[in-house]
Formats: sequence, structure tokens, C-alpha cells
Amino acid sequence: MVSTVLVANRGEIACRILRACSESGLSSIAIYADNDADSLFVELATKSVILEGESIAETYLNQKQIIKIAKQYGADAIHPGFGFLSERADFAQAVIDSGLKWIGPSPRAIKMMGDKMTARTTMKAAGVPVIPGEEIEQEDEHEALLAIKNASHRVGFPLLLKASSGGGGKGMRVVNSPDELEDAVNSARREAIAAFGDGRVYVERLLDGAKHVEIQILADQQGRIIHLGERECSVQRRHQKVFEEAPCPTMTEELRERMGRAAILAAQAVDYEGAGTVEFLLASNGEFFFLEMNTRIQVEHPVTEMITGVDIVREQLRIASGEPMSCKDLIIRGHSIEVRLYAEDASNNFLPAIGPLTVFSPPVGPGVRLDTGVRQGDQVTPNYDPMLAKLVVWAPSRKEALQRMRRALDDFIVLGTTTNIRFLRELCDQEDVVNGSTYTTLIDRVWPDGWQPTIPDSLIEGALMVAGISESSGMHRNSNAVIQSEDGPVSPFTTISRRFP
Amino acid sequence: MMQHEFRLDGDTVEVTVARNGNDWHLSGNMASILPDGRIRLEMDNGRIYFAHSAKVGDTWWIHLAGHTFCIDCIEPGASEDANDGGLSAPMPGKVLQVLVKKGQSVEAGQALMILEAMKMEHRIVSSIEGIVSDIHFAEGDQVQQGVALLDIS
Repeated sequence: MVSTVLVANRGEIACRILRACSESGLSSIAIYADNDADSLFVELATKSVILEGESIAETYLNQKQIIKIAKQYGADAIHPGFGFLSERADFAQAVIDSGLKWIGPSPRAIKMMGDKMTARTTMKAAGVPVIPGEEIEQEDEHEALLAIKNASHRVGFPLLLKASSGGGGKGMRVVNSPDELEDAVNSARREAIAAFGDGRVYVERLLDGAKHVEIQILADQQGRIIHLGERECSVQRRHQKVFEEAPCPTMTEELRERMGRAAILAAQAVDYEGAGTVEFLLASNGEFFFLEMNTRIQVEHPVTEMITGVDIVREQLRIASGEPMSCKDLIIRGHSIEVRLYAEDASNNFLPAIGPLTVFSPPVGPGVRLDTGVRQGDQVTPNYDPMLAKLVVWAPSRKEALQRMRRALDDFIVLGTTTNIRFLRELCDQEDVVNGSTYTTLIDRVWPDGWQPTIPDSLIEGALMVAGISESSGMHRNSNAVIQSEDGPVSPFTTISRRFP
Repeated sequence: MMQHEFRLDGDTVEVTVARNGNDWHLSGNMASILPDGRIRLEMDNGRIYFAHSAKVGDTWWIHLAGHTFCIDCIEPGASEDANDGGLSAPMPGKVLQVLVKKGQSVEAGQALMILEAMKMEHRIVSSIEGIVSDIHFAEGDQVQQGVALLDIS
């Protein structure tokens, strides 16, 4: 039985889990660092406890402190969300050892899937196809470089260097030719050491024109393992997904069946429990290869929820409680698309941006869902990941879902901080996106010299006029007063003066 | 008639709006401020838009028809800051590597420094050809957003 869940995370995913707890009738505990004291997720828990310390290592990654708070405030389970400690087998073990329920798979499963080399070997043994590539075992810098050079000749160019314990595109480099190899190895290792404390990399063939297709699975303690169909997340910038959809536009019933079976095989190979995702690369000839398994809830889980009607986070809570999962035979209905809104400058190599969310006004309407951890008046700081929100739409067909996404993006207003909204909006008009023939290198191919917005002249004229009127009418008096108190509490009425000339 | 000087994408633009009661005019376009603070625009081509605006620092952020604009106000008498070869940090972060030495000549597009910000590596690239006249930070230093990292002359 689980009655009180501590959510060891922050931001958008903490909000998602805390709301699911509330809907399930469970008590919840949020933990937060000092710089998150005013964040939305802190308001959504039954009880919120401040973490001591400044850095992420001292707060959200501080296993001892988190477990201590869980015991002290009477939690009986810990949900790790994604990122932070979600794929740390040692944390899962420490949670279990302290007598709490870990909402996720066993530490053994996390460990086997978390180390990409072990995962590859395990999958090969289980009969799941893997990408041609080689594991580099050498830890010494010079030996590793030599081993990578040798391996690169056998694997062939273009190739991909990946951090063994990596994720989220960190420590990952595309190498197109042998002369780029040494620089790429050094920089990938440096990034991997900084991010994961482990500089080991592996080398694999870069599959050109491939799709990124992943299968969502659920496994309960009664031994039932099901898959909830696929998500396609091919469109990525800097190896991070920005546009995700379900179902995959080119999927056939027969291929879904085969990929689903491979995903269940992968889950069985590690005695999986809870929600997980098995990622594949789907080549243009219909061959698919195991990429990795994410042993946690994923950022893009909502698109699967929209087309299956399954609340994956509630199922996680149910499974952790020892109950059988509630889903019966699944029917895939309609089409869902998610885009990730980042505070970043898409016209400048997707450089992260910071600033106030002076206006944050999301779209509404039928088939529109917003998962976010921020609200108007918040500050975007360099302390955490710059993802602001996930905008999700559902419609009966893919075409209508794309039309709905365009409308929703046009209606999404964020002022004060640069976002990728316009980039996402123009992405929806790209021929390959419209046709559903998306592939992992799409953004680089469509915009080889970087993206720049296309703005009609009449709108520029209109915007200048709006600036002129706003400045003339003194509409800025209130908004400016708020900006000056940057460190202080931010008034929710930051936007526009309520007084008029 | 109210005249303002703005900067949009590097260009300086002079905007003169005329007010007549609740209506504002600029050439053939008309606008009015709505009770909730939005601005209703009626363009001379007949299109109607509802715009949102908010000022942060000296910049007007404007949302209009799915586009977001950043329009800087130019204070009367303020000097233009031209590209003088100074390179500033795009984000708060840490200097990972300095790739050039003082006195070295560099080409436009050459990588000068590697910064780590938000757990990602960013290359600082020279926008002009010239000689590195000064380097303000060393490897391992923390830098704030906007500070000059190196000078190229």
C-alpha cells in the first residue's frame, strides 16, 4: 500500500505527479531548493519541505537528505520523475533499503539499462536487434582515443559518439569524417565527465534518414507486461526531442506488433516493473534497432495518454501500490502531437535564454493540453533546464492535430523571455512534417545555416506601431516597476498598466 | 503626434503615432487600446489583429499574429554601440577552454573560447578578423551574462 508519495523532482514533471497523487487520493510531499520556493510545484503538494544547500548536488541530487525528509514526514514511497535521480540505481537501492517503496523498476533493471554497453549486450542476448557499433572499454584518455580510432574504421563514417552513462544529448557528437574525430572525442568526454562523472564513450553507426520510434510499456507486480503503442520523436535539435507524436505516421499494424513484442522482450529481460520506454531507430527499409531503454516516466508520455486514454502516472502509482494495472485492451484513437517549449533563441543556435515571464498566456480550447511548471510572473533562471512547457494537442486525424497545433502555437503568448514558439510554429509547416516523413536530422537539413523567422513586412509595421502606442500611452509604468525588484517576490500583475490615458 | 526611436534587428526606426481620442493612427493603420490592455490594430489592408505588449527594461515585447517582436527604445542622446570586436558571454557560465592567446591573429568564424552554460558547451566565435588584444578570463572562471570575454582589434 502507498498512501504518501514524496516527489523527488521539480518543475513541470513534479506538477504532473503531484496532481496525479491528488487525483488518486494520495497525500504528497514536495521537496524544493531555496531558489524554487515560489515555484508552482511547491503549491501543489499536501506538504512542501525545503532542501538544505545551494547547488543541485546538495539539493535535488542529495540522496541522504531526500530519504531523511521522506522518513521524517511519513512518506511511504518516492517518485523520482525524470532527470535528477530517476535513473540512479544506487538511489533506488537506498530508497528500498530505508523501507520505502521506489516508484520504478528494480535497481538491477535500472543498472542494466542505464549503462549503454550492458544494455546493448543484454538486448543482443535477448534477441532484440541493436545498431552496429562498438563499446570502448578503455578508461585512459590516450588508450580510449586509440581504441575509438580503430573502432571508427570498422563502424564507418558518419558515426555517433555517445557517453556510456549519458542521456539528453549530453556527451554526444556526430562525426562525419576521420579528421573531426579527435576534437569530437575530447569534447564528448569532457562533457560526459562534467555531466555524469564518467568519460567512457561508445561508437555507433549514424543511421541516415532513420526515425526515432519508441514503445511505451507498463509492467505490474502481477507479471502482466503490455505495450501502449509507439511514439515518434524524430524531430530533434542538439539531440534533444522538440516535436513528438503518436502514433508514428508511417506505422503499420504489423510493424507495431513486431516492435511491441521486441519492447516487451526487452522489459522481460530485466524483470521490469512500472512504466518504461524502449527506444528504437527505425531505418527507411523498415529495419529497427534497439537504442536504449528509459527506466522512468518520459517527457513525451502525454501523447500516448491522449491516444490510449491511459493515465500513465496514475498507473505507476497503482502498480507501486501492488495493484494490477487498470488498463484493459487498448484502442488507439486519433492522433496526438506534443511540442516542447524552451526558453531559447532558435535563431541563434538554440542558445538557452533567461528572463521574466512577464506575460505567459497559453492557448485553450478542445483537444489542447498544457503540462508546465511555470506561470505568469515567474523568472526563467540559468539554474535549471530551460524547458517551460509541453504543449499537447489531440484530434481525430494527424492533419487536424497539426492544424490544431498551429492554431495553439499562434495563440501562445510569452513576453519577457525568448522562446522557441515561432520556430515550432514554422516547423509545423515544413513539407516533411506535413507529410509525416520526419527523420532525426530534419532540422539540420531544413535549416543548414540555422533558422531565421519569416516575418511579413506588414506585421513588422504593425509591431512598430504597437510599440509606439505602448510607449506613448505610458503602458509600461507598472511593468517596469516590477522588473526593478528582480530578487524580490514578483507581482502577478506584471504585465500592463490598468490605467489609460 | 508622438515620435519615438526604436531599434529592431539592428535597424534604427523612427515611429510617429498620432492620437485622436481613443484612436491611434500611423499612415493608413488604425489602433485602439482595449480595456484589458491589449491593442486592437486595423491595418490599411483591412486585416485586424489583437496585439499584446509588455516592457522589460528598455525593450518592448510585442506579440502580434503568432510572432513575437523585441523592440528596443533608444533613449534620446544615447550612443550607438557598434560591433567593436568585443565578445560577451551569451549566458552565465564557466570558461572551459581558451583557444587563443593574446596577440594572436584570428579569422572571422574562428572559435575563441568554450563556455559551459546550462550543462551544455557553447563556442564563442569571432565575428571579425583581427588580433586578440585582451583576454579577460581564464579556464575555470565563472562569467556573468553580458560580460566581455575577450577583445579583438
